[in-house]
Amino acid sequence: MSAALKILIIDDEPPARDRLKRLVEELDECQFVGEGGTGQEALKLADELKPDVILLDIRMPGMDGIEAARHLADFEAPPAVIFTTAYDQYALDAFETQAVGYLLKPVRREKLERALAAATRPTRAQMAKLAKMSPAGARRTHIAVRTREELKLLPVDEIRAFIADQKYVTIRHPAGEHLIEESLRSLEDEFNPDFVRIHRSALVALRHIEAVERVADGGYAVRLRGSVESLTVSRRLGGELLRRIRARD
Amino acid sequence: MSAPTAAQPEANNSAFYLPDFCAARTVFVIVLIGQLVALVLTLASGDRDLDFWIEHARNAAFLLWIGIGTAGVLCAVRKPLARLSIARASALVLALIVAVTALISELAYRLGESFTQPGTELGQLFPIEHGPFLLRGALISFIIGALALRYFFVTHEWRRNVEMEARSRIHALQARIRPHFLFNSMNTIAALTRSDPQKAEEAVEDLADLFRANLSEARAQIPLKEELEVARIYQRIEELRLGERLKVEWRVNDVPMRALVPSLLVQPLLENAIYHGIERLPAGGTVIVAGERNGDMLRLSVANPIPVDPHPREREGNRIAIANITQRLELAFPGRSGIETTQTAENYVVTLTFPCVELP
Repeated sequence: MSAALKILIIDDEPPARDRLKRLVEELDECQFVGEGGTGQEALKLADELKPDVILLDIRMPGMDGIEAARHLADFEAPPAVIFTTAYDQYALDAFETQAVGYLLKPVRREKLERALAAATRPTRAQMAKLAKMSPAGARRTHIAVRTREELKLLPVDEIRAFIADQKYVTIRHPAGEHLIEESLRSLEDEFNPDFVRIHRSALVALRHIEAVERVADGGYAVRLRGSVESLTVSRRLGGELLRRIRARD
Repeated sequence: MSAPTAAQPEANNSAFYLPDFCAARTVFVIVLIGQLVALVLTLASGDRDLDFWIEHARNAAFLLWIGIGTAGVLCAVRKPLARLSIARASALVLALIVAVTALISELAYRLGESFTQPGTELGQLFPIEHGPFLLRGALISFIIGALALRYFFVTHEWRRNVEMEARSRIHALQARIRPHFLFNSMNTIAALTRSDPQKAEEAVEDLADLFRANLSEARAQIPLKEELEVARIYQRIEELRLGERLKVEWRVNDVPMRALVPSLLVQPLLENAIYHGIERLPAGGTVIVAGERNGDMLRLSVANPIPVDPHPREREGNRIAIANITQRLELAFPGRSGIETTQTAENYVVTLTFPCVELP
């Protein structure tokens, strides 16, 4: 007999979780391994418990299911994902076109069995397309970084700046600095109204700019909240920066 | 940051009651009015020296010119007129009608003076006195013009009312419960059926009551007490699903429960507060439903905490819900209701103001 399929259940509504849990426990060769109520918990638990399949609700507070799946796709060995939803017309269309597994709540036992048998791992391209079609848009609320011990989720709201450096981008965050493999250009596109490019190699959070200072050669520098050093603003982008700051006030 | 969404005026064109004077139909109506006036004048004059048909032909020709002239002038000035207030535009149109009449009367007098001899048969067709002729024309055109404007105004208002009522029915249909809620509730009930059959039974009863209220004649006005009861049933179902995350505080002890309100006034606001607020907050929050009486006006407000970064597409859904309540309030209390939404970084508040009309 092969090992039982390990299943993680993520839904923000306790009754919805209870029901799925019961259904899973009643199936042969399936093992319920854990449950959670947010996208963040989905990632943490997936990292710790290494489930084979996640039943993932779409509409959740904080990080939603689509974004969680997007981060999962970056895992080395991501679990298979089956989305669950009570009613999301846009999502159903998206799932059909991307051929992603999904279940409609209340979930039927036979459909759950069939979906588990056919469940696939999310791919990056698939999830990026899904995210684009979701009401939250392609914009992530968190950025996932993997340290040696654990998976860290940095809320985008708290990030001070992205600094490009050769091949990597460094995230400046109050809890420290982290490297990610993404281009500054794509980050700029994704987080556009809240982050502004001040230099070829620097994208900073408008909300965390504490001061814009004049420097000796007539240019500008930006000081970010909780930081002593200043970041140079390139001559070409100074005007745009000031305009964006004024537009915010 | 505050964004009052007062009842939006309709697009300029539909609120403006004057018809398009360039349209053939309108020109026809004006000419017809002119011809009827000509007939009335001929019938009333009883001039024995003149053959009835000749006199009528004269009057008809004279009024035809006035009618066409008026239509032409009004056609040319309609666009700038539409920008004025209704009272000003009406006064201006009336002045134009009198001016056109005076101008054509003057031309008729001049024509008669220079081409015909008084006393001849042709001369009888033209006015003899100058001043009194002009004055009479001006007065008659003023009275007939005012009546015609009144006629246009009343038909326009009537048509607009019919349209608004039809639209409001559609809006009431749209105000009905989101499918999202229905399927989530079904899922909750499916879960409770085994774990807590008694709760499941209550939830089915609540859901039935809620849908009965939702499917009833959408235009009906109901006592506030009933509307709040529907909202409370809705709250109970959502509590099963969201558990501790949802809290609702009712501060409605000071409002008269017999006040009449359009149905589905509070429940959709509570639904929005949960859908856009509570449900999107990991720790949930408290919705505050408050009401107060202020003289003969009632104020109802629904306040909820919101997440930092509301999804833009969902905000659109909220805007539609608000527009739809605005419309239905406006239909129930024309010109006397208001709706205002206030958004701060952490809170969203919708406040409705409307006259307190109590059940006898």
